[in-house]
Amino acid sequence: MYGRYNPPFSVEQEGIAISVENTGEQWIYRRTLGTEDVEKIILGDEKCLIINPVEPLNTPKEITPNLLIEFEKTLLLAGGAKRKIFLTFPIEIGVFIADKGEKDLQLLDVLSLVRQKFTLYGEVSNGVICKHWKSQIYSISPSPNPLQEGIIELTLRNTSSDWASISKVVFSAYGMKLYYAGDVFMRARMDILNRNTAETGFELQHLSGELKSSPLKDFKSRKEAFGVYSLQKLGFVPLKFYMGWGF
Amino acid sequence: MDLDFLDNSLPIFDGTVTLGSVLKFILILSFSTFLVKILSLYLRRSLKDKVSKDAGETIIKILYYGILTIVFFSNLRLLGINPSGFLLAGGVAGIVLGFASQNIVGNLVSGFFLMVERPIKIGDQVQISDVSGYVIDIRIISTLIRTYDGLLVRIPNQQVFTTNITNIVEHPVRRFEHTIRIRYSDDANAAIFLIKDLIDKEPFALLNPSPSVFVNDLGDSSVNITVRIWAPVNEWFGIKTRILWDIKQTLEENGIEIPLPQSIVHIQTDSKKIPEELVPIPEKEIESVLNYEERVLA
Repeated sequence: MYGRYNPPFSVEQEGIAISVENTGEQWIYRRTLGTEDVEKIILGDEKCLIINPVEPLNTPKEITPNLLIEFEKTLLLAGGAKRKIFLTFPIEIGVFIADKGEKDLQLLDVLSLVRQKFTLYGEVSNGVICKHWKSQIYSISPSPNPLQEGIIELTLRNTSSDWASISKVVFSAYGMKLYYAGDVFMRARMDILNRNTAETGFELQHLSGELKSSPLKDFKSRKEAFGVYSLQKLGFVPLKFYMGWGF
Repeated sequence: MDLDFLDNSLPIFDGTVTLGSVLKFILILSFSTFLVKILSLYLRRSLKDKVSKDAGETIIKILYYGILTIVFFSNLRLLGINPSGFLLAGGVAGIVLGFASQNIVGNLVSGFFLMVERPIKIGDQVQISDVSGYVIDIRIISTLIRTYDGLLVRIPNQQVFTTNITNIVEHPVRRFEHTIRIRYSDDANAAIFLIKDLIDKEPFALLNPSPSVFVNDLGDSSVNITVRIWAPVNEWFGIKTRILWDIKQTLEENGIEIPLPQSIVHIQTDSKKIPEELVPIPEKEIESVLNYEERVLA
């Protein structure tokens, strides 16, 4: 389903039906998912639609930029150790309208096939609301349904000398960079600073860099996804997330 | 055009103050006010997406009044007033003004402390005394509240500062509670399972702090189940109103009903014993009752 579409078109997959039809002077965008229907009028010619995965923080309503991934099993990391693991994350599908040159993007619609749930990270008085997702820990890249789940390659680095017991990780959407082709992929890191604190962030290098030479499948053909958060006119926002209430 | 009159000294000042210098003072102050207003507008636009509305408004107000105060005092010499004289005069004037305008000064000082302590911010949902609503503005003298039914209420800052303030949105989450009554003949464990399942499907019912569903009371005519759910502070009202009806429907679909108030009446059916109340009253007695009116009239 991911890719670029020139109207008129119609695409249907896993219960999602997206179409753009011409009705005289205007275009009608229609999307159906279960009992939910969305219909929008587009006034403008020479436009194309781009469907790609976006940061999983927009549905059912954007109330937080933070994603908390809870591990199915607690992971113990030795002091000073550095390990790479794979997790899954929920997928949200973004539909953008753009010029033919894929410039001047405007978000048209966001939808998701997976369960939506929120949680609090930290204390009731000063914690942060996070979108919640539960993932198994994989030692090699899994192959989930790309319309439902993506893959995070997470590099864990324990900078302290003590063992670290890790059961969750929180990311900020402002630093997220998604890549897609046969799967949806993000590369992130988590630096454990001490017994209770850690810092998380995303690798921002382009496909032409380290990612391109990665031995993982389809890497050369992966395309950088347009994000909802990267469209917003942001001032100074931290791209990293500081986990101060444990992990 | 002859402008010499501008150099004539004014009778109320000493010789150094002329009509021209007074006009100059007014012009400088007016021009500065105009410039500061433009600066405020520019800052309001440029800070819009970068800082919160509350912080932005505070910065703008401090700049606005700060610049105007500096301009005012630095140009007082045009009026023949030495600003250093304010040190002495200010003390005396302060006492006089303090007595004359206790309320205004009280509101002013309270406004200052409200901005420093920041128990409320612009945009917060608050309850101050018996007024609930959104904080629209915190001014030097008063605080403006838009109530939930759309009315504008102006509360003097002194009252805001000295009364109890409940900030509804200060914390990121809040809890609400529902009591669900089911029949004694229904399975409470099944009801709890169904309610927990419903909460699990509701996105804004938080996983942590976890919700709790438990039998809280064995009432006169029902088993009372308490449902406590934490939700994001901006979403709690929507989920609170939505989930109650969802719980009712789900329970009914599964044969669990909410009972009406009821009492169980036990009726004695022993035919040999005649209840005392039904023992026939002697005829004479009835007659006397029937003739009561006649007897009284006689």
